[in-house]
Amino acid sequence: MKRTIAAIIIISGVCFVAQSALGHHSAAMFDNQKVKELTGTIKEFQWKNPHVWIQVYVQNGNGVKEEWSVEGGGPNSLSRQGWRPTTFKPGDAVSIRVNPMKDGSAGGQFVGAKLADGTTIGNWDRAEGAQ
Amino acid sequence: MQFALISVFLLAAGTGYAQQHAVTLPDWSGVWQMVGPTIFDGASVEPKNGRAGDAGVRERPPYNAEWEAIYQKNIEAVKKGLFPDPITNCGIPHGFPRVMNVPDVYEFAITPPQVWILTENGPNIQRIYTDGRDHLKAEDRWGTYSGDSTGRWEGDTLVFDTVALKGWSEKDTILDRTGLVLSDQMHVVTRMRKIDANTLEAQMTLEDPKALTKPWNVTKRYRKLPPSTRAYDYACGENNRNPVTEDGRTLTLGSDGKPIDRPVK
Repeated sequence: MKRTIAAIIIISGVCFVAQSALGHHSAAMFDNQKVKELTGTIKEFQWKNPHVWIQVYVQNGNGVKEEWSVEGGGPNSLSRQGWRPTTFKPGDAVSIRVNPMKDGSAGGQFVGAKLADGTTIGNWDRAEGAQ
Repeated sequence: MQFALISVFLLAAGTGYAQQHAVTLPDWSGVWQMVGPTIFDGASVEPKNGRAGDAGVRERPPYNAEWEAIYQKNIEAVKKGLFPDPITNCGIPHGFPRVMNVPDVYEFAITPPQVWILTENGPNIQRIYTDGRDHLKAEDRWGTYSGDSTGRWEGDTLVFDTVALKGWSEKDTILDRTGLVLSDQMHVVTRMRKIDANTLEAQMTLEDPKALTKPWNVTKRYRKLPPSTRAYDYACGENNRNPVTEDGRTLTLGSDGKPIDRPVK
C-alpha cells in the first residue's frame, strides 16, 4: 500500500499536489508561509467529504498531551494520489508538517507526513515560505 | 467510437430527437481535470502564478469603475480573511461560469438534444440544450446558479450561450476566491472543442453591461485523466468542519464539534 502511494505520487506529479490543498472554504486561517512539524500518534482519521481530517495527539512543551486537528484535501482527489481510508490508523506514530493556524490554536493545513516506516506522503520536503 | 455513437443515439431515443436529427457527435468520454489552479483568468492574474484566496492576488477583467471598486472591496476582505466562499455552506452550486473553474474532476455527457457538464466537486450540473430551442423569454426567466444555456454544434465545436444567472446580485456566486464577481446581467458565449486527443478547450467571451466596459475573453483547458480514473460523490455536508460566522469569518471545528479558533479580540 505504501509503495503504491509513493508510485502514484511520482506518476501524478505536481498537478494533483497543487490541487490537493484546495477546499470548499477560505484558507485564510492558515499561515501558508510557515511549516510546523507535529510528532505524535494518530487518534482518528476522518475520511469524509469535503475534507479529510487527521486528529493527532502531540505532547506539548510542558509534556501535556494535546489533540491537533489537521485538515487535508478531499478524499476523492487524495484517493487519486494513492491515499486510502487506512493511510493513517489510530495509534500510528507519525510526523506531520502543517501550515499552522495563524491564531496559534491546535490546528493546521496538511503539507506532508512521514509514517513510522519512513514513507513520506504529500509535500513533505516543502520548505518554509514555499508554496 | 462506434459504441459511443450507438450509446448516444440510445440515450436520445426516448425523445425521438435522434431519429429526426442524425448528427455525428464528438467523443468527450472519460474523466477530465482542469489545467492549472482555480484562478478564473490565468492569463491576467497578478502576481503571475498567484493563487485564489491569497492576499492581494487579482485578475484584470475590463471592469467599469463601479465594479472595479466592488472587486477592490472584495480583495480587501480576502486580505482580512473575511471573504467566505459561498460554497462553504454545503449544497450551494458554484454556478456558471465558475463551474468551468473547479478542482477535482469533470465529465461531459453528450447526447443529440442536450450536453451535460458534470463536476465531481459540486453539486453542479450545467445543462446545455442543443435541440434548437431558444432561451426562455425575459419575462419567463429568473437568475439561477447555472442559468439558461442553449447551444449548437459547429462541426466538432460546441457553441453555447448562457444567460439568466444570479451573479453577485445577492452575493450568491463568485468566479474565484480572489473576489472576482460579475453581475446578474452577464451573458457568456462558450466555444468548446477538443484541441488534441487528451485536451478540451473552452473559449469564453463574457459580456456584462452592468460590470464590464467591453467583452472579456477567457480560455480554460481540461486534460483527460487515465481511463481507470473514477469520479466519486462529493457530499459536502458529510463532515463540514468549517462553518462561516455572520461577519464572514470561516471557523475551524475540532473533533468535538466546537471551534478551535481563538476568539477575535
